[in-house]
Amino acid sequence: MMALLLKSYQSLLRGSAVPRRSMAAARETAGSSKKSLDLFYDVVSPYSWFGFEVVCRYRQIWNIDLHFRPVFLAGIMKATGNQPPATLPKKAEYLNMDILRVAKYYQVPVQLVSDFFGTVIQKGSLPAMRFITAVDASQPQYVEPISRELWMRIWSRDEDIVKPESILAAAEKAGLPLEDARKILEMSNSPEIKNRLKETTDQALKYGAFGLPSFVFHVNGKPQLIFGSDRLELLGSLLESPQEHCGEAGLLYRHGEN
Amino acid sequence: MMALLLKSYQSLLRGSAVPRRSMAAARETAGSSKKSLDLFYDVVSPYSWFGFEVVCRYRQIWNIDLHFRPVFLAGIMKATGNQPPATLPKKAEYLNMDILRVAKYYQVPVQLVSDFFGTVIQKGSLPAMRFITAVDASQPQYVEPISRELWMRIWSRDEDIVKPESILAAAEKAGLPLEDARKILEMSNSPEIKNRLKETTDQALKYGAFGLPSFVFHVNGKPQLIFGSDRLELLGSLLGEKWHGPVPTASKL
Repeated sequence: MMALLLKSYQSLLRGSAVPRRSMAAARETAGSSKKSLDLFYDVVSPYSWFGFEVVCRYRQIWNIDLHFRPVFLAGIMKATGNQPPATLPKKAEYLNMDILRVAKYYQVPVQLVSDFFGTVIQKGSLPAMRFITAVDASQPQYVEPISRELWMRIWSRDEDIVKPESILAAAEKAGLPLEDARKILEMSNSPEIKNRLKETTDQALKYGAFGLPSFVFHVNGKPQLIFGSDRLELLGSLLESPQEHCGEAGLLYRHGEN
Repeated sequence: MMALLLKSYQSLLRGSAVPRRSMAAARETAGSSKKSLDLFYDVVSPYSWFGFEVVCRYRQIWNIDLHFRPVFLAGIMKATGNQPPATLPKKAEYLNMDILRVAKYYQVPVQLVSDFFGTVIQKGSLPAMRFITAVDASQPQYVEPISRELWMRIWSRDEDIVKPESILAAAEKAGLPLEDARKILEMSNSPEIKNRLKETTDQALKYGAFGLPSFVFHVNGKPQLIFGSDRLELLGSLLGEKWHGPVPTASKL
């Protein structure tokens, strides 16, 4: 099953089946500016990965300018008084099942981690998110692949993401030259980068975020927050027709023929 | 806006545009049994209403046998140690916005209640859910319209649902003759009906529910739990069905 998932996942990444927006569609929206969509995420969160992959796929289909905003989920939890849902036993049981079902449906190769508390709560993701932040500040074209490789480590192969060698391994897989990766890793411990991560996290909080993934776009200058990888159909509808969004059938969000 | 929503909502209820399953589809599944789908819900929960309306619409489209399972959300919360999301301030702010956005997208005329704590936490829904349970035990064909009318009271018109007169008003709107409604209201205070509500709630808990709406269907004899009105596309997929959005009757597909 895993091999099958990985295979289809990789073919999706190669973009072999992505329907590019048609010439007609392009002509229609020529002149109209793309909608800016901020994606706030932390690689410690598997649901963030679902949201991330789906909106990455929709970049070619929706008229959006996708901005990756790496943040620190533990910081968001602390500031809002929220807790990971897994802290409630019945939710934890449900999540273990839900994560795998959604992984299959969304075709993202998530596997459960063997030690949730140790991996997610104790080790967390701070060095990884600082690294992504530093990549964003210096070689932003690598933010997407490096985020993905870090997710693959923690949430597909149950591998470490906080040790320097782990982060460098992910960067290498993402195509970042080792020398650059080392420099950026060093930079990620600077006050500037630590602060930048904190500021992005504060921005998410200002928008009202209490968890991840959080999506923010603007309608008539006003920020709109969408929380969760299960609100993407609604997100698509709001992006296309913010005033109407009358809920007409899934024209804007097709998962695929089944 | 409310008038427009109510109007389109009422026309949806009349089912004027529901695409019946085609003859071909019917032949295909002739002989194959419908998939049984349990919907656990409480009228105190607006998200339950979203889930309820959408699966009601899909009864004509998906090959399902929908079973309404009225339960007591406060009982589920207590048993699992869960809390309403609105108890976290930042979630409450988000929910107030999310509920209205989803209401519009799902075309369900939800309005925010003016006093959340008083309405949802203090007054709650116990008499209403006991009444629905009693209806289920005596005149089950009224469970759907009465549930809907109780939701319309609390989550569309910000009206009471715990007083006897409120419940009778909802029953009347749902078409239940007043005399029957009175008898059923009396029955709803019996130990049998109180117990029945408790048992249905316990059943939801056994399935692993910690909130509502909760959907349960079986795959190879094993129960599958889906939580939330935002997992309906996934639910459809697990049932082997296609998703046409929350308002399939207006589908252009």
